[in-house]
Amino acid sequence: MGTEVASGTEVASGAAAALGEAARVEGALAEAGSAMTAPARVRPELVDEIAQTVAGSLNLRRMVLQLLTAVRPELADWAIVVLADLRGGAIRVYGGDDVGTKTRVTRRALSGTGLERILRSGRSELLHVALELADDESLSTLIPDGELRRQAASLRPVDVLGLGLTARGTTLGALIVVRGQGRGYDETDVATAEQLASRAALALDSARLYEERSQVARALQSSLVPPPLPVVPGIDFASRYRAAAEHLDIGGDFFDVYGAGDDWLVALGDVAGKGVHAAVLTGRARQSIRTAAYFERRPGPLLSALNAVVYEDRSDRFITVVCARVRIVPAGLEVDVAVAGHSAPLVLRAGGSIEQVDVEGTVAGVLAEVEYESTTVLLRPGETMLMFTDGVEEARGARGFYGLERVIELLTEYAGAGSEAIVSALEQDVVEHLDGRPHDDIALLAITCPGEA
Amino acid sequence: MTGGTPVVAASGDAGVRLGELRAEFEGALAATDTVAAVALMERALADQVDPVRLLVDVIAPAQRQVGVRWQQGEWSVAEEHAATAIAVAATEAVARVVRATPVTHGRVVVACAEREWHALPAMIVDCALRANGWNTTLLGASTSPVRLSQYLQDLGPDALAVSCSMLGALPTTRRFVEAATSAGIPAVVGGAAFGPDPDRALALGATAWAPDAESAVRAIGNLPAVVPAVEPLPAEPAAEQAALELDHRALVAEIGTQWRADPELDIRDDAVQQTLHSVWAALLTGDTRPVPETAEWIRILLTARAADPTLAADLGAATAAVLRDYPLAHRLVSTTWPTS
Repeated sequence: MGTEVASGTEVASGAAAALGEAARVEGALAEAGSAMTAPARVRPELVDEIAQTVAGSLNLRRMVLQLLTAVRPELADWAIVVLADLRGGAIRVYGGDDVGTKTRVTRRALSGTGLERILRSGRSELLHVALELADDESLSTLIPDGELRRQAASLRPVDVLGLGLTARGTTLGALIVVRGQGRGYDETDVATAEQLASRAALALDSARLYEERSQVARALQSSLVPPPLPVVPGIDFASRYRAAAEHLDIGGDFFDVYGAGDDWLVALGDVAGKGVHAAVLTGRARQSIRTAAYFERRPGPLLSALNAVVYEDRSDRFITVVCARVRIVPAGLEVDVAVAGHSAPLVLRAGGSIEQVDVEGTVAGVLAEVEYESTTVLLRPGETMLMFTDGVEEARGARGFYGLERVIELLTEYAGAGSEAIVSALEQDVVEHLDGRPHDDIALLAITCPGEA
Repeated sequence: MTGGTPVVAASGDAGVRLGELRAEFEGALAATDTVAAVALMERALADQVDPVRLLVDVIAPAQRQVGVRWQQGEWSVAEEHAATAIAVAATEAVARVVRATPVTHGRVVVACAEREWHALPAMIVDCALRANGWNTTLLGASTSPVRLSQYLQDLGPDALAVSCSMLGALPTTRRFVEAATSAGIPAVVGGAAFGPDPDRALALGATAWAPDAESAVRAIGNLPAVVPAVEPLPAEPAAEQAALELDHRALVAEIGTQWRADPELDIRDDAVQQTLHSVWAALLTGDTRPVPETAEWIRILLTARAADPTLAADLGAATAAVLRDYPLAHRLVSTTWPTS
C-alpha cells in the first residue's frame, strides 16, 4: 500500500476561511469607517462570539492566541495580553504585531504605571493619546515593553484601553487594546469590552488551572509511561502499549528492560485494577525490580524479592509478572524465564511452530514468601519470544474474546519476521477486533534473536 | 493504496549517491536485514548525507515498493510487515541523529487517525519536521480523537499534522481536524488517502494539504497562528457515512456472502472493506474518485493473484445491492463503479 504521492503545497480552506472571515469583518468596518462621523461600534454579539471561540481551547497559550486574533479588527487594531505569573514575579506579555510573540518583563518595571494599577485593582483604564504626543513614551503606562510601544505608536493610536482580566476573585492579567485613526472607544464600547474581558478572564482562569494541573500530572506521568526500549546490538526488542484510558497513556500494565552488554533483564506485568491508581503501583513495581536487579539477576529469586516487597506494602493489590533474563550466547539468545501469576510467554520457532514456555508461579503480593522456578529457553536466529498481558486475550469484540488461539494463529504467519513486525501486526489485529470497544490495558513485548534462520 | 508519482531525487552526484543508497536499502528490505539497513543509514549520516534526503529519496520510495510487492502478490502481509519494520528501524536511526538538531520553531503534533496503521509516513514527516527545527510529538498508529485532544490541550502546539493513507481513516481524520481547529490550531493533512490534489483535504476542512514530507515542512512554515473552527460537513452525506460506519461489520458480512469470489482468496476481506471505505471517503469529501479507483485497485489485486478480474465488477454489483437502503451510497456505487 502506497505512502505518499506527488509534490507541491497548497495552503487553503481553513486559512482561506480565516482570511474570508477577516475580510468580511474588515468590509463591515470599512463601511462604517467611510461615514467617519460614526466610528465603528463594537457589536454586543462580539462578546458571545469570542467567548465561544476561546471555549474550544483549554491550553492557556492557544487561548491567548485565539483571543488576540478574535479581538481584531472589530475591537482593536492592535492588542496584547498581559498575564501575571501567580507564583513568581515575572509578567508575560503576548501579542503585538504578531500574535505569536511572547515577551517577558519584571514586575518591578511596572512600578507606578497604569498597568500596575489594573493588575492590582482589576479596574479598566482608558488612555486618550493626544496626536502630537503619540510617541512610545506616552504609551509606557499601559504597554510595558519598548518594542511593543514602538509597534503601537506606529499606528498613531488615539485610544489605549486597559482591561483587567479578573476571574474568581483574582486579577490574572490585563487585555490592552489599541485603536488608531479616528476610532476612539466610547462609553458603550468600553462597557462591551469590559464584558468581553470578564468572559475571557473566566476562560483564561480555567485554562490556567488546567495547565497547572496538567503540568503536575505530566511530571508524575512521565515516570509511569512505559520507557523507550534500549537499542541493543544482538537483541531485537519491540513493544506496544495501549492504556485502557487511551488518552492518559498510563495504566496497570507495565514493562521495563534493564541491563548492559550481553546480559539483559526484561519484566512485563499487570497490576490489579486500571487507571491512575494502578499506574502508581506499576511505578513502584518497576522501581522494585530495577533495584533488586542490581543485586540479583536470576528471574526466580528476583520475583521472590518483588513478592516480598509487594506483600509488605500491605496494599490489597497484587501483581502478575513475567520476568526474563536474556543473554547473548554463541548459539543465539539464552533466556531464563520465571512467572508470577502471569501467563507464560510464547516462543515462535523459525519454522512457524509455536510453544508456550513451560513455567508457572504464584501471583506476587498475596503470600509472605514464595519461591519461583525458572525455565531456560534458547532462541536461535529468527526466533521470537512474545510476552503480553491479558488485555490481548480478553479484548472483547463483536465476536467475543480475542483469545490465545487467535494470537497463535496470527503468530504462525510471522515466523522470522522480527519483533517490530510481530508486535505491530498483533496490535493492529487486536485493536481491529475491538472495533472501537473499550478494552483493558494492553502491553506487548517481543524479543527476537536477529539473523537469518 | 493508490499509486504514487516518484519524488524527484536530488540532482548530480548527490542524486547518484542516493540512487545507490536506495538500491542497497531495497536489498536490505528484501533480505529482511535490519542490521544492514540501520548500518546503511548510520554510514550515510556519518558521510553527511542530508537526513531529509534519506527519508524522502531512500526510505519512502523503498517503502512504496514494499506496498507494490504486496499488491502484486509477490509478498505476503507478514513479509510486508517485516519489510516495513525494517524501514521503521531505519527511520528511527535517522531520527536519533536528527534529534540533536536545535529547536528553532514551535511545536507540532504528528498523528495518524483511527484505522490508520501505516505509521511510517507519519514517522517520516515527524523526522523531517524535527530536522527543520520543529519540536515534534509523534503519537503513533491509530490514535483516538480523545487521545489526540488530550495532547492538543496539554501541549498547545502551533500545528497538527495528520498522515492518512487509508480511506477508512478519513472519518477520524475529520474528527482530528475538528479537534485542532476548535482550539484554533491549524491542521495540515497528507497521505495517499487524499489522492493527487487538495480536493479531499480541503473538503475535510484541513488548513493545508501536503502530499509528502517536504511539502509538509513547507506548509507548516506558512500556517496562520490561529484558524477558525471548521464548519459542519454537509449533513445528508455525513449522516449516511456515519450510518455505514455503524453498520460496517454487518455490511462486510453481507457483501461477503453475495460476492462470488473464492472464500480462500487472501485479499477477499481487504477488498470488501476497502470498497466500503471508498464509499465513506466519497460521502465525506464529495469526491467520487475513490470509488472507481478502489475498483481498479481490486482488479489489479485479483489479476496479480490469477483470480478472475471480472470479480471486481461483481463486487460493485454486490455492494450496490447490499447498500440499497442507503440512497446516496447506492447511487454512488451504481454510477461510479466500473461494470466491466
